[in-house]
Amino acid sequence: MASDPTDLIHRAQQGDQAAFEALYRQHVGRVYALCLRLTSDPAQAEELTQDAFVRAWQRLASFRGESALGSWLYRLTVNVVFLHLRGARRRSLRVLTTDDPSALERPAGGEGESDGPAVALDLERAVAGLPPGARQVFVLHDVEGYRHEEIARLTGVAVGTSKAQLFRARRLLREALNR
Amino acid sequence: MICPDMEVKLNEYVDGTLPAAERALVAAHVAGCAGCRAAVAELQALLAAAGALPKSIPPRRDLWGGIAVRLGQRATGNVQRAFWTGALAAAAVFAIVVGTSRLLPPSTALHRPAGQGWAAVTADYEQSAAELVATLAMERGRLRPETVALVERNLRIIDAAIRESRAALERDPGNAELRQLFAAAYRQKVELLRWATRVATSS
Ligand SMILES: [Zn+2]
Repeated sequence: MASDPTDLIHRAQQGDQAAFEALYRQHVGRVYALCLRLTSDPAQAEELTQDAFVRAWQRLASFRGESALGSWLYRLTVNVVFLHLRGARRRSLRVLTTDDPSALERPAGGEGESDGPAVALDLERAVAGLPPGARQVFVLHDVEGYRHEEIARLTGVAVGTSKAQLFRARRLLREALNR
Repeated sequence: MICPDMEVKLNEYVDGTLPAAERALVAAHVAGCAGCRAAVAELQALLAAAGALPKSIPPRRDLWGGIAVRLGQRATGNVQRAFWTGALAAAAVFAIVVGTSRLLPPSTALHRPAGQGWAAVTADYEQSAAELVATLAMERGRLRPETVALVERNLRIIDAAIRESRAALERDPGNAELRQLFAAAYRQKVELLRWATRVATSS
């Protein structure tokens, strides 16, 4: 894309949808990757990617350029994802909460074990198989590079919980990858 | 095997978040403990692999269509030129003709740029409707069958009205009332499609 990003942002802020589409093309891969890894669900990730860009369009005027558009957009995406997940959790309380903490230790996507060692070696798949809370913190901290304080703010968990989930995720991943 | 109670320390060790004194203690322990040394190596390899995962993954399909149809819903008092591309562009023209605008604030109706002829306006409507039909075709799997049936039944009625008014306009191109009828029918079509697409993409 030959266009200067600052110019594209400015034009999009003025309401130029073609400029916004160019920004979408630049960033959609990262936004989708984030949504996909946070949800482990391609269809949901597609919807959330669309929601994130619609929200970005609505809020673009509030982007002042202190940070790169990318970091602003990815934070907004994380917000959209967690707003959605909290809503989904309210709608299906029984599915996502548990009184049995050991249930969280069992990777969710364990059906495909017969695929052999290739599965175990595939970090992406192992991440997808983590329990949601551990997976989300791992993706934000170790893949995306967020700090625990930011994760706590973005996801509404305590800093200590964020750390505990991260260490649990790493333990489960080491186990999965050593299998 | 990791030593009991060392898991948190080893994680903070590889994260580099330990205070210097504590870091030195953990380093000394790791130097003399094969199990914890192996765990540190695994953690470091895991962090390297996580950091090396592709930052970008292309979605399986183009998502722009479903986004573009929703951009017009932006709540803003500051109406801009590009806001009127697509479905609303045509509707804005006819808001003046018809005079009863539900689609845009009255103040903006008087200020739209002139120079779009009848043919361009018709083309705009047709393009908007075609884009929405295409988007809806992609997203219709998310609608309940009853909703799809309702949308299709209404589309047939509206399309018939569009055909009739278009044919009448070809016989009498200067007739303002016919234009209003044509515009109202097309606006209904665009509104119906936008609604259905919105429901589909938000469900
Ligand atoms: Zn040890």
